Amino acid sequence: MLEVKEMEVSYGEFLALKGISFTVKEGELVTIIGANGAGKSTILRAIMGLVKSRKGEILFYGKPLTEVPSHERARLGISLVPEGRRIFPDLTVSENLFMGAYLLSDRKEIQENLERVFGIFPILRERRNQMGKTLSGGEQQMLAIARALMPRPRMILMDEVSLGLMPIYVEETFKVIDQLHREGVTILLVEQNARKALSTADRGYVLETGEIILSDKAEKLAQNPMVKKAYLGGS
Amino acid sequence: MLVQQLANGIAVGSVYALISLGLTMVYGILRILHIAHAGIYALGAYTGWFAFRLVGEFWLSLFIGMAGSALAGYLIERFLYSPLLHLPRIAPLIVSIGLFTAMEETFRIVAGPHTLTYNAKIGIGDLSLGNFKLTETQLLILIVTFLILIILWVILSRTRTGLAMRACAMDAETASSFGVNVKAIVAINFLIGSAMAGAAGVLIGVYDNQVWPTMGSIPAYKALAIVVLGGLGNIPGTVLASFVVGMAETFFIGILAIPFPRDAVAFVAMILVLMFRPYGLLGKG
Repeated sequence: MLEVKEMEVSYGEFLALKGISFTVKEGELVTIIGANGAGKSTILRAIMGLVKSRKGEILFYGKPLTEVPSHERARLGISLVPEGRRIFPDLTVSENLFMGAYLLSDRKEIQENLERVFGIFPILRERRNQMGKTLSGGEQQMLAIARALMPRPRMILMDEVSLGLMPIYVEETFKVIDQLHREGVTILLVEQNARKALSTADRGYVLETGEIILSDKAEKLAQNPMVKKAYLGGS
Repeated sequence: MLVQQLANGIAVGSVYALISLGLTMVYGILRILHIAHAGIYALGAYTGWFAFRLVGEFWLSLFIGMAGSALAGYLIERFLYSPLLHLPRIAPLIVSIGLFTAMEETFRIVAGPHTLTYNAKIGIGDLSLGNFKLTETQLLILIVTFLILIILWVILSRTRTGLAMRACAMDAETASSFGVNVKAIVAINFLIGSAMAGAAGVLIGVYDNQVWPTMGSIPAYKALAIVVLGGLGNIPGTVLASFVVGMAETFFIGILAIPFPRDAVAFVAMILVLMFRPYGLLGKG
């Protein structure tokens, strides 16, 4: 469903992505692992249209995205859990979720989706009238995921969802990701926590300074000596 | 006497709110100090004045004044600010100051350097309860401002577009990733903010019974002071700051009879806020 071909992105003179190619099939959970600064977030931002790719192609269900502005990409069914959560701080939890469902106009559908995400994250129901900025980091992360689920996207892009979370929230977050995957949501997960990412994903890619250097089934990558050494703490 | 001054202060504060809200909304979403907003205010007064000459009906001329200002605000955003957004914010600020001067000169050339008498028949009459008295134009200001603030509040808090407007002011990029057309939201901010400034221009035109080319000069800087006082980009803060300044001015001059220049009150307040509450009256900090 998502096909990225020879994509290049640069920030000024700096070439952040040096012609990377990968695919994500319908219903798959694919992860891209790599060190800080390898360009992982840039990949997701380019797919969402928040940075321009200067070469290469992004195809979503065969449709080229390069000239499509980001708000139109949302309409095609792509949803982003951004790095750093990016909750709207002075909107309530409910309003944050309504922003997620901005493109839906059917009130009944919005209400159903709201019930669904409250089912996944019961804490958000309790906090629904609180301002986004008053939530804890872990709660904000749940809100960011819930917000991205509100439009019932065909594909979710998740950027460093475990970064800066307490271990208990990391477990919780990956449990939710696994559950969504089982329900058939297509997910592209970018992570520094390679161990968790590879144990949850179907397939994985390893990104190093803007280039994909390895790709394989997730469990095979987890066994790869080089990956073990560089990303899984050498054990 | 006290109640009377209170009413006067609220009337003055109302007009300040109408002018300052557009400024704070534009700052909130684009981080531009839109100095030419005061030109939009004067344009509203002139458009309203010409419209009244033409149609002779005040309410229609008020509407035309608002529409003229809204259109001008939209065009400024579309053709002057939008192409400059990739530059440091000092660039649109300089353009804005230049544009404001150009607008004042245009009013002078088109309508003449003298003041024009704005003698509109409004038809709601004065209100007097014993000693307490509101002139027709004061009453008009209160009614129009009250209606506009309610409409603005309903838009911002009860509609999908209003939600998107608030979200864009916080994080436009994230809003766009959920399907919000940020350019359209910016345009709506300019349309609404400019229409309010146009209304303020017409109201002051009939309140002072005159329209003149540099009528925007003092409001330009006073609105800036009020917006800082309210916390840049903070809409409720700006409404509060407008009424605080309106009251303070009226009380200083009307009751205490301190020989203090009226227009300096807002700036003293701004300096105090910057020293002690740099995020504004309602800001965090």
